[in-house]
Amino acid sequence: MDADEAVAPPPGSEHAPPPAGIEPPDAEERGAIAWVHHLEDAVPVLALLLMVALPLAEIVARRFGTGVPGSANFTQHLVLWVALLGAAVAARQGKLLALATTSFMRPGFRREAASSFAAAAGAAVSALLARASVEMVLVEKQAGTVIAAGVKAWVAQLALPIGFALIALRLVWLASPRWWARGVALAGLLVGIWLGQQPALLEGKPAWPGIVLLLVATALGSPIFAVLGGLAVLLFMHDGVPISAGPAEIYQLAVSQFLAAVPLFTLAGFLLAEGKSSLRLLAVFRALFGAISGGTAVVCALVCAFFTIFTGGSGVTILALGGLMLPALLAEGYPERFSLGLLTASGSLGLLWAPALPLILYGIVANVPIEQLFLGGLLPGLLMVGLNAAWGVRQGMRSGVSRHAFRPGALGRAVWEAKWELLLPVLVLGAFLGGFATLVETSAVAALYVMIVKTLIHRDIAIGRPLFRAFRDCVALVGGVMVIVCAAKGFSSYLTDAELPARGLTWVQANIHSPWLLLLGLNLLLLLVGSVMEVFAAIIVLVPLLKDFPAAYHINPVHLGIMFVANLELGYLTPPAGLNLFLASSRFQRPLLEVYRAALPYLVLNGIGVLLITYVPFLTTWLLPAAAQ
Amino acid sequence: AAAAGKPIKLATLVPQGSIWDKELRAIAEEAKKRTDGRVTFRVYPGGIEGDDQDVVRKMRLGQLQAASLTVDGLTSLDKGFSIFSVPRFFASFDELFAVAHALTPTLAERLDKQGFVFLGWGYGGWVYLFAKKPFYTPEDVKKLKLFVWGGNDNKMVDWWKSNGYHPVGLASTDIMTGLQTGMIDAMPAPPLIAIALQWYRQAPNMLDLPMGQLIGATVITKKAWQQLSPADQATLKALAAQMQQRLEREIPGQDRQAVDEMSRRGLNVTKPRDPKAWDDAATLFANTMREKVVPADLFDMARKAREELRSKH
Ligand code: NA
Ligand code: NA
Repeated sequence: MDADEAVAPPPGSEHAPPPAGIEPPDAEERGAIAWVHHLEDAVPVLALLLMVALPLAEIVARRFGTGVPGSANFTQHLVLWVALLGAAVAARQGKLLALATTSFMRPGFRREAASSFAAAAGAAVSALLARASVEMVLVEKQAGTVIAAGVKAWVAQLALPIGFALIALRLVWLASPRWWARGVALAGLLVGIWLGQQPALLEGKPAWPGIVLLLVATALGSPIFAVLGGLAVLLFMHDGVPISAGPAEIYQLAVSQFLAAVPLFTLAGFLLAEGKSSLRLLAVFRALFGAISGGTAVVCALVCAFFTIFTGGSGVTILALGGLMLPALLAEGYPERFSLGLLTASGSLGLLWAPALPLILYGIVANVPIEQLFLGGLLPGLLMVGLNAAWGVRQGMRSGVSRHAFRPGALGRAVWEAKWELLLPVLVLGAFLGGFATLVETSAVAALYVMIVKTLIHRDIAIGRPLFRAFRDCVALVGGVMVIVCAAKGFSSYLTDAELPARGLTWVQANIHSPWLLLLGLNLLLLLVGSVMEVFAAIIVLVPLLKDFPAAYHINPVHLGIMFVANLELGYLTPPAGLNLFLASSRFQRPLLEVYRAALPYLVLNGIGVLLITYVPFLTTWLLPAAAQ
Repeated sequence: AAAAGKPIKLATLVPQGSIWDKELRAIAEEAKKRTDGRVTFRVYPGGIEGDDQDVVRKMRLGQLQAASLTVDGLTSLDKGFSIFSVPRFFASFDELFAVAHALTPTLAERLDKQGFVFLGWGYGGWVYLFAKKPFYTPEDVKKLKLFVWGGNDNKMVDWWKSNGYHPVGLASTDIMTGLQTGMIDAMPAPPLIAIALQWYRQAPNMLDLPMGQLIGATVITKKAWQQLSPADQATLKALAAQMQQRLEREIPGQDRQAVDEMSRRGLNVTKPRDPKAWDDAATLFANTMREKVVPADLFDMARKAREELRSKH
């Protein structure tokens, strides 16, 4: 297997290939349909390109005093288009994140029934959200809000109804190749629209039947965003809050100050994962550490961490690097189970190092300075990578693996070959921490830089169709993640609305007095949540619930943030549903149980790391400026 | 009128536990008592429902029913409120109060056209400039990355740019992050807010020259208002008026105490140099605002009310 082909499912994907019989519709498309698909791809790709261009133009124009009027506002609104239309592309490709339950069922009526029910629920929620978005757009149109330069806010908001409507239609179409099953899914879509017309219908009625229905649908393979968005709208309806509250929350999050950095850094990481950058980096780290016993295992941890920093989640790392790293480890005599476990665990190393996206998102939601999270994550990240590397050295000594002699000349050549890749972190941290550019501008610089390196310098990606396809797949990946983040925001907002954060704090304060006990409780809660929920969604839902805890228990907010992300990362390795376990099982074609066994030592190892990060706050706070300690 | 209707959800940027938050909770409590539980409030302070523009959108959609908005949010409802953003328009708290009272009927009517009912004013105190490094002249300020209200279609950002400043449009909820990441290194703020949100620790230099006043107002959507009985409406109006009066008594003193308290904790209060340059900058600013930003009729009405008070002294 070759790294180039491994770009398909998004990070956070618990998705096996779509059920047999449904090919992603890209394969054989002709005529009018092909044109529609091209247009569907072109709009979010163009939006993403503009997101790169506008902040860069602003950096240049600022030198001459004026800047580009409204550039930040436009960039923020383009996030909506990338997210929603990207999600629509993901839906068309059958790549919306979902549990792959039906792929474990034998073909037949029961499988068709299950997938059509899941599609019906997903279509119902999408249609309801589209209907609610129309309401928001109409109200905004009447209010006449202007973004900048005469462009109206309601025009930008059109991305919401269009995106959700496209997703609803795709879910119906892809429910099954059989018409009766599509009919069932279509009925779901119509129920969604009908519910949207009767917002008072569920007011004051018990909410549990709807909740149960949504949970069952998710278990049967409804997209993850649908359960979060569905819960939000259902609970809003139950409380008599207008359903447009859902889209309003999505809009508020999407246009927030820093969120634009998420798609832009993902673009940088995504393009980096295409082509031969991983080989070049592997050569560097191998020349550095190949001479020690277990060197290749150390190299593996480092290369994976490097990629995860930019791709933001484990998905791309395991998928892109797994095919390269596993044969390398086996060829040098590492046992298979050890190697499988190492790669499964390495997929989430690096999430504590700047500019990893979970840290950025945590900063946005908890209102903790992102720069401090970056500084605070340095040592804890080093600890986690170090623990995994040490475990590799131990295994290397036991297995007596082959070593490579250290040759300065080889190191020099490898560094020179990989110089453009190695400069990326320097560029990013220099621009942001040096105060030359805002976070969003930095992410645009990173995206442009990687684009130039990959197309013009290394020519890993040809300009033209291959670059467009890379952009399209990136937009689908970003959209698939962002639509979950957005839906989670709707759900989280319901919790805020119901004053749950304040009530939760009161309850906890009455029952738990020691901050150490509180942290232990958090460890367990986060482990559990991290094992069933996407890391971004978990941050959006949980952080508002917990953000008053630091002050109440004298916990440093940066420490809480780092511990939070490290803990969620551990959830990725936790059976039965940890994300890395699924990804590794599908990438390496190994039974899930075998992956569980292989990952167990790493779960313990990284668990020790998380406990150290939790109970030795000094690890996080040592590098912080005095005022923040 | 709904008996024991749904709670009125009121969102605001004012910090939790601040004087304004306490006032809001006090009138919420009092309203419940005086209406036998027919009118209840849920208060969401500290920007947890978002910046003013988010809150305004949520009120229009019916997700929220009421808000205590700052001048930024009020201006997005009606341009007339921007009169309170004109720098150094007011020379004293008394002038501010006199102009606010004189303009109340006109502004309330304009809010009504937008679907909102005006309940009462709130006051934030004098606005001073805070910065990471000491500064003394308008030329010094031009070198700083200055916070200005971001959000949609903010013409003021362009105004600052074209006059040689380096404004950074941000949501006010992002000021702390902006200071810590170096995205901004100066911002205007009232002392009571700077102390409550600890901004002064990040920007420990304050120029002792008031730039203007921060005003706010509590509003409720007409839709929610019309569901209350006339008696309950009268109760709410009376409570809001009382809150306004208490703030008019309390804020001027607390405003100065906050500066003293911050100085004790390490704030460096500097005196301005080149007073004429500051006056020129303020005049230039104010002159641009009439008509371009503030509707001319309101600008003149405000000036008249201010001159009347000045002529009495
Ligand atoms: Na915002
Ligand atoms: Na909310």
